[in-house]
Parts: sequence; structure tokens; C-alpha cells
Amino acid sequence: MPTVRRLLLFALFVSTPVATVAAQGTAVLSGTVRDTLGQPLRGTVRVVGSALVGVADDRGRYRLEVPAGRVTVRIGHFGYRSVEDTLTLSAGDSVERDYRLAAVAVELQPTIVTAAKRSQFLDQSTTSVALVSDTDLARRAVETVDEAVNRAPGVLFLNGQVNIRGSSGFVEGLGSRVLLLVDGVPANQGDRGGIDWDMVPLADVARVEVVKGAGSSLYGSAALGGVVNIITREIPPGFHARVRATGGAYANPPFDVWRFRDHTGALEGLDGTASYGQGPVRGSLTLGGRHSDGYREQDRSDQWEMSGKAEWLPRPGTQVTTSGAWTSHQYQVFPTWCVATPLPGARPCDTRGQAFQPFLIDSSGAGSYTRSNKGYFTATLDRTVSTRFSWQARGSWLRTHFTDVNPDDWAVSNRIGAELRGVGRSASGRVATAGVEVARGDVTSDIFGEHTQNQLGVYGEVEQTLGRARLTAGTRVDYLDVDGSNATGVLSPRVGAVFPSRLGTWRASVGRGFRAPTLAERYVNTQAFGFQVIPNPGLHPETAWSFEAGNSAPLSSWGRLDAALFWTEARQLLEPTFVRVVDTVTTDTVEKIQIQNVSRARLRGLDASLAVTPLPGLTATIAYLFLDARDVADDSLLAFRPKHLLTLSADYRWRTLSVGGDFRYTSRIERIELEPVFGRDPRVSARVLDLRAGWQRGSVSARLLVTNALNYIYNLVPRTLEPVRTGSLVVTWTY
Amino acid sequence: MAMCAAVALACNEGLHPTTCPGICGTVTYHGSLPDSLRDSTAAVLVLAFSTFPQTPADLLHFQPPVPAFVDTGGPPRRFVLPVPPGSYDWVLAVWEKKSATSLGAGNADSLLREVGFYRDGGDTTAHGTGRVHVGAGGADAIDFVIDFTQMHRICDYFPPCPP
Repeated sequence: MPTVRRLLLFALFVSTPVATVAAQGTAVLSGTVRDTLGQPLRGTVRVVGSALVGVADDRGRYRLEVPAGRVTVRIGHFGYRSVEDTLTLSAGDSVERDYRLAAVAVELQPTIVTAAKRSQFLDQSTTSVALVSDTDLARRAVETVDEAVNRAPGVLFLNGQVNIRGSSGFVEGLGSRVLLLVDGVPANQGDRGGIDWDMVPLADVARVEVVKGAGSSLYGSAALGGVVNIITREIPPGFHARVRATGGAYANPPFDVWRFRDHTGALEGLDGTASYGQGPVRGSLTLGGRHSDGYREQDRSDQWEMSGKAEWLPRPGTQVTTSGAWTSHQYQVFPTWCVATPLPGARPCDTRGQAFQPFLIDSSGAGSYTRSNKGYFTATLDRTVSTRFSWQARGSWLRTHFTDVNPDDWAVSNRIGAELRGVGRSASGRVATAGVEVARGDVTSDIFGEHTQNQLGVYGEVEQTLGRARLTAGTRVDYLDVDGSNATGVLSPRVGAVFPSRLGTWRASVGRGFRAPTLAERYVNTQAFGFQVIPNPGLHPETAWSFEAGNSAPLSSWGRLDAALFWTEARQLLEPTFVRVVDTVTTDTVEKIQIQNVSRARLRGLDASLAVTPLPGLTATIAYLFLDARDVADDSLLAFRPKHLLTLSADYRWRTLSVGGDFRYTSRIERIELEPVFGRDPRVSARVLDLRAGWQRGSVSARLLVTNALNYIYNLVPRTLEPVRTGSLVVTWTY
Repeated sequence: MAMCAAVALACNEGLHPTTCPGICGTVTYHGSLPDSLRDSTAAVLVLAFSTFPQTPADLLHFQPPVPAFVDTGGPPRRFVLPVPPGSYDWVLAVWEKKSATSLGAGNADSLLREVGFYRDGGDTTAHGTGRVHVGAGGADAIDFVIDFTQMHRICDYFPPCPP
């Protein structure tokens, strides 16, 4: 088309409405578009029945010439309820109108990146996934990631150890059966295999994805019971800053006979984040610190943390991301609580005539203290070659260093990893993911010795669309060795299917998971509960077959129901076991504790959740986990697995105010490890109510949180008191 | 939510102060451990038998499975035996000798000595047993004396004693 003709057509096209308006006479309509909290919206202001439309700027301001006479304008923004306004204007009028739009629930398909190691819609996952969004994190006003994840459906923390559908139990933090990822990078400790939940500042977290069931077909060792992926925030363009201050207090013991101090314990924290993005380069830095007096004797804690992230987009489709964090945490250690008759070797404590004192320590642990430094650094190169193919390469380094005082132990460990992964998509709907991952862990310690563990994994998974159904199949082969020997190969296949129907989206999967023994489990040599813990270098990986079938269905426009039946058969589970051995020095026969491949376990049950929005501004969820966990080897209950876990949540938002709460019921844990030692200790069900309220205006928000509002006194693991009522106020300023 | 909170509040079954979850009392030391026993002492234990042992083998069926370990001297010491409600015929302190072999019925007589037991003042049964009834609130004030100069062999209770 000749250029002159195109210009004429363009002039005709853009001038037509103007000419029409000019013929009738015009008026000017201007003002702002904001949400009900006063935040500016880049909303559209459209004249109904014409092509006239204006778009508000980033301060929410708009200006639009409209024909004189009676006009109706419609103001809209994605995610907000549109409003219409009818005005009668004379030619030459200049009218200012401000509009406020109310947020509405928009049925958006959440996107996840963890279940298939690539981006996909939530309802395309063959396994159950729980999401903790940034909204959940903000309204809960929690301080650490684990506090937020602890309320996710099917998830329970036992003294800091995460359980997904009862996966881990409680082994003093050793050998988590859940794999932690930070932006997809494995982050379990290199020596103990546990999880440092304080490694990533909460201020950096955008959302958390919890994949339930065995995930070793893509992630290898440790993904026996599930995968938790902490996804950090993207860095927006321009300059942004956020400062968050926290202050709070712990309730005193509810009974005078349990009082242990003459003042109220406090907690406080301050963190700030600044980010800047210009063109292809973006960066952010977070600094923070926290202090807590603790809610019981010998429970003080001080933490300093910093993290940074940089992104570079040298050309379209290519992104280089580096990120890292360093946390230094010094905390007193509450050993076990004070009992009238201590364990052998322990010094007696004053129980004031009581059978136990939950706020006081067993005095043999007096002065116990830990300095824990930990950090990670990752570099990732993402390349989208075309709409059909993308790949990612990454390297990572994780380091932990702890020093214990009483008992005096220390360990330094490193975990260095690298991964290369590609994702291809065909025109016929087939998606193939393949990759190779290597990792090397090492430890130098007085209680674990000096050892290394190497891991090489090769994996692949294919998804094929067949009609409405999506079928997936994949496997991973892992090769592991310890100190260059004890080589082990593990195969972890998985198949799954997703089928959308009028009754919701059905999903089913079966897969194999495994967890290699950690260096700590193989080589630990220390004292625990008055018994010596001895090494067992010949341990084998524990394995599990995991099956689930579930359905996710919308309930009209006001709710969604998700339910899954799951069944896991686990073999050679690593558990601490009493063994009688002859002491090489005294030649006495004594009981010691050793980690052994002893248990066969069966975990099955129902994991269901219902989310509803019965009224505008009101959201409520109910999540229930029924767990039947049995030790098949001796036909007994599996330790540290409560049968029922119920979580109720409700939040209501009205203008700038919000209120909400969570109620968590955990049925009494029927069986614990070391039953002969702790079996007669008191154990109760947990009934914990958390309340919260929030206020936001412009760039400032304040959130009040009262956890365990009923000051319910309980424990989940032996002689370890769970947190009492804690009130805290979080004030956040955002630029 | 409010209803759940109210129910939880009304049925607050959380932990409460508990003075005695089973058999509790005080052991008073009559003297301290003699030097001659110091190196050979493995432990001094307080334990309970629901029925008085009829054979040496019954000696290994005590409650609780892990007995209370107590000091070998010093000021009176409170003990707590977390045992289920019921009736217990014998609550006693036992001195255990160090050994390279596991404790069993065959060597119980050589490894164990009774060093004190609870005795009901009004109980005149053989060996002065004192039956303890443990209810839901436990049984407190089960006090007795440990006297290392009055240690009794197991065979005293199951005669005859080997030479």
C-alpha cells in the first residue's frame, strides 16, 4: 500500500470520533480512578456506545473529551467491578469525577512452576499442590516462612520439622523427607539434610508452592514426601523500597506455679528492602534483624539477615539471575522441659512440687546455645530460544555452619550443585522436560567427622495431550556415593494423568520417591536424651511408592473444592532405634541410639480443602487431613503422625480494614519415638486460634497478629512446649 | 470460627499443672554410697511392680519401662514414676551393679540389690510390702528411705540363696 494512502486512511481513522465530537460540541471529563483503599489504578474510562476511551496514568489520573449532552461512561480495570456513570454535560463544560472500583474475585488459573519443573496451570498438575500466596503471607503478618507454610492444607510442623501428609514425623531435625527449594534450587542442609527456614528473609518471598507426594522423579533425593519451593519476588522497574517494623510480646504462663520470669517477654524486628530497575538491569537488597526474648526459659534469639538479587536481560528471551542470602542466628537452646525424675546422667531441676515444668529447662541443658550461620548463592541463566524450546542452566552453593555450646559441637557443610534443563513443546501438545543435575555435599564436624557425598541425576518427563486428557510419564536415575564408595543407584519413575470434566478436573498419579541417608545420619556420634548416639555408615536409601487420586471442582461462582485420596508405601525408613552394644572401653553392655533402616510404613488418607467467597469481601477455607499412618513391620501406629488435622480460616475485608483468623486442630499424637523414655509424658491435642487485623492506607499498612490467642498450652514433641499466645504489630511502609 | 474458638475455650484440654502423674514421693538417703560400691555402681533406680514378683524372672516386669534414676546420696529427692492408674504391690529402690552382660533373670541376683522400699505403716504382709493405689490424680507421698548399708539380695525374696 502506498505510504500516502496509508497516511490518509490513518488520518481518517483517528479523526473520525474527534470530528463527530466536534460537530456536537465537547466537554472535558477528568479525575482519578482508585481502588477502595485509595490506591491509584490505571483504569479505562470508556464512553458507552462510542469508541472514545481514555486510560488513567500511574497516578490514576485521566482526562477525556466527551460529546456534550447525556453521556454514560464505564470505568473499568481488570480484577475490579466496573462502574457506570451517566452525566449531562454542556459544550465547554469541564467536569471532575473521581471513581473508586471495588476488587472482585477473578477466576484466574494460578500458575505453578514446581510440580513439573516448568510453568503450568495449577489444574494441569497430576499431583496435589498447595499455594501460599503473597496475600496469604502479608495478611498473616508472620515473621518466617515456616509460620506461613504451617497453615497450608495437609502441612504440619513438628518443632520446626515439616510434614506433608505425615511424611517426616520428627527426628530432631535430621533427614527431612521434604525437599526445600529456593527458586527451584535445592536448599536442604548438606550435612543433616534438614531445612533452615530462616535462610530466606520473608520480605523476599513472593509465594510458596507445596507439592505433595513423592517428587523424586524430577528432584531426586529428599523429595520423598513432597517439595516446598520458595519463590522470591521479581524486581520491578524503577526505584522501590519497603520498610517493615515489628514489635510484640509473649503471654506469661497461665498458672503461677509455671511462672519463670518477672517481666513480659518481647520480640522486635526491623527489615528493609530497596530495589532499582533500569533497562535490562535490576537489583534488590534486603537487610534485617530480629530479637526475641522467647516464651520460655533459655529461649532468647537474635538474628541478622541479608539477601540480594540481580537480574540482567541482555536480549529478549534471555535472563541471567543471581541471588544470595546470608543469615546469622544466635539462639539459646531449650533442651527439654524440667521433670521431677530426669533421664540418666541429667541433673535434677526444681519442679516446685510438680511432675513437670513446661516453661523451665532440664538443668543439664543450662547454658545450651547455638550460633548458626547459613547462606546460599545461585546463578541462573534462562534462555527462551523459541516458543517451542527453552533451557535453563544454574549453579548453586549452600553453606551452613553451626556451633553448639553444651554440648560443644560444631559442623561446617557445603552443598554445591549444578543443573542443566531443557523444555520442548511440540505443535501437537506434547511437552518434554529433560535435564541433568549434579551435587556434592561435604561436612567437617566433631560429631559427623569429615565426609563427602556425591550425587548425579538424569531425568526426563513427557506430557502428551490426548483429547481433553493430559498424560505424563517420566523417570529419574540417581547415582550416589559417599566418600567415593558405597555407590548406590536409584530409579524413580512417575506416571500421571489429568482429565477435565463437568464434575471438575480429575487427577491421578503414582510415583516413587527416595531419600539418601544424610552424612549426619550415617556418621553422627553424640549424646541425646542421656544416651550415646552411634554411627551407622552402612545405611541404605529409604524409598516410597506414592499414589494419589483427586478432584478439583468449582462450586458455582463462590467456591472451589479440592480433595485427594493418597496412599504411600514406604520401605527401609530411617528411624532412631535403641540397640544394646558392648562398650569398647568399659566392656559393659549398654543401650545406645542408632539410626537404622527399620521401618516399613503405610500412610494413607484424605486431604481435602474447600475455599468459598459467600459474601463480597469475605473468604473462608476449611482444610482437613485424615491420616492413617502405620508401621507395617510391627503393626503399630507410626510415630509423630496425628490422625486428624483441621484448619479453618476466614478473612473479611471492608474498605481499608481487614480482619481474619485461623483455627488449627491437631489430634493427639498417639505414638512417639523413644516410647519407653517419653511414653508416659503428658500429650494433648492442639487447638490453636490465631487472630489478625489489618489496616492499609496509601503506602502504609499495619497488621496486628495474635497467635495462639487462647493461650493453649500444648506440646507436639516430647518435653518441648509449643509457642504460647503472642501478640505482634507489623507496620509496613512501601515506596 | 468464633464457634470453634468458643468450643476450644470451653474445653481447654491443654496441659495443666500436674503434681503427680503416677506414683510420687520422696526418697531420703540414710548415709551415702559407700566407697566400696562407688566404682561398681551402674545406677540406683526407683521402680514399681503391679504384683509382687513370684519368680526372679518377674523382676524384669516392672513399671515404668524406664525407671526413675535417682542420686546415690545427698538431700531428700522427689521421684515421679509415670505409671498408669491401678494397684502396685511393691515400690522400691534398686541398686544396679555395672556389668558387661545384659540384665536377665539368670544374673538378677548378682546384679541387683534392694536398697529401700515403700511400706504402709498399717500393712503387715510378708516382706512389708506396701500396696499403692494409683487413681486418676496419682498417688503422692510414697516416701521411703534408701540405706546402702541395708542392701538385700534378690534371693532373700526367692530363697534359698546360693552360696
